[in-house]
Amino acid sequence: MTKIFFERTGGFMGRKVNATIDLDDLPDEQAELLDDLLDEAGFFELPADLTRPAMPDAFTYNITVSSDERQHSVRVSDATAPDDLRPLLEELSRQARMRR
Amino acid sequence: MPHRHSILCIIPPYMMHEIVMNGSPEQRDFALRSITISEQLRAHRRTALEVMSFMGARPVRAGKKRIVYDAENGSKLPGAEVRQEGDDPVSDPAVNEAYDGSGITYDLFFDVYGRDSIDGNGLRLDSTVHYQKGYDNAFWNGQQMVYGDGDEDLPESERMFNRFTSALDVIGHELTHGVTSYEANLAYWDQPGALNESMSDVFGSLVKQYQRQQSAANADWIIGEGLFTANVNGIGIRSMKAPGTAYDDPVLGKDPQPAHMKDYVNTIEDNGGVHINSGIPNRAFYATAVELGGFAWEKAGQIWYKTLTDKLAERSNFQDAANLTFETAGELFGAGSLEQQAVRTGWSEVGIAAGAGTGENGTGGTGSGDGCFTAVLRAIGLAK
Repeated sequence: MTKIFFERTGGFMGRKVNATIDLDDLPDEQAELLDDLLDEAGFFELPADLTRPAMPDAFTYNITVSSDERQHSVRVSDATAPDDLRPLLEELSRQARMRR
Repeated sequence: MPHRHSILCIIPPYMMHEIVMNGSPEQRDFALRSITISEQLRAHRRTALEVMSFMGARPVRAGKKRIVYDAENGSKLPGAEVRQEGDDPVSDPAVNEAYDGSGITYDLFFDVYGRDSIDGNGLRLDSTVHYQKGYDNAFWNGQQMVYGDGDEDLPESERMFNRFTSALDVIGHELTHGVTSYEANLAYWDQPGALNESMSDVFGSLVKQYQRQQSAANADWIIGEGLFTANVNGIGIRSMKAPGTAYDDPVLGKDPQPAHMKDYVNTIEDNGGVHINSGIPNRAFYATAVELGGFAWEKAGQIWYKTLTDKLAERSNFQDAANLTFETAGELFGAGSLEQQAVRTGWSEVGIAAGAGTGENGTGGTGSGDGCFTAVLRAIGLAK
């Protein structure tokens, strides 16, 4: 089983949104999408803190992914996120905004 | 820090006059441009106007250069160029809003403060619209402005945000982050970060007031008016006049901004609450501007602009900002002037004593002096 803890803070408004997503609870198609996006981002190989330099009004994202075998956390901002990670941030933001 | 228009400090107005009369075409252009820039500096004003009317010349706009890009809902910056300086409007309103909004922001800084763009040296203003999908935000990435379309990806009944270019003060806010990065370069966390945010709200709001030609008393002092859809119970993102009252919504919660130091929020989120505690210096500016009356960009804006560009530093906190705006008001309008008193009143509204602890430099007349005087009276039992 894989769980994703996601939190987005900061931004022009300074509003926090978050989501806890258990991939086992998702329809197969959505769970596969997130698996693919994690792979594409090379998530488990990313450095833990990618938030500097802080850029005005950019969102800060905290993501923790834990499975039976491993767990990893990454902090990153709009201004500093690696390109390969951005589709994952966008998808998780979408889910967090919908789950409010 | 870059030296802006330093030549103005060296060449006296009469010499500019000579250059306009006798210089080469290039020298003349330069002198006319410099005179235009210096128009806001009182000492030069008369000469500038005299020279220009004598020459039949019109003020020369130095370097307004804008480019708007379209990220086409992706994350790649800057994206595809869609409109550049001088181009006619296009069919996409977001593009035109980014173009017009950065133009009006340029105008405020140039016309009122004599500043030629973000860096004071004609830096091109780059904006990207349609950043990602469902991106309910705008930010400054160190080089350019970036705008999302709100939450257009959600069903209409759930949408809370319109596109972020739709509010002119948001554009002014982002561009001011650029100005700050070239000047005080306030660190983006805790109190320096909240000051950084406040400076962006101050000049963002002034851009809107300047465009509408509204006095301090008539302005709404709302930041991001029009960003919320009808699904949200709120008038905007922040209120400079009454921080903490901009929205109160079942989904978004209540506007968390404090309006006074006693309610300062200690948090590690949002770089130490930079978008929360900015309510305190925001209200100090509002209160100063209303105390002074008239157009806020004139006196209050001038005091804050000079403080941002000449005095504040990376680690400045609220107390420093209070002391330095007070000091600046003394320099611009005289120690003990009504303007300087208004700055003190503005900061006292939020629980900060401006001028406290600053001594010499000739601006402490009504400042620390009053404090000492009162302290002595208190000591001998003549004051409470």
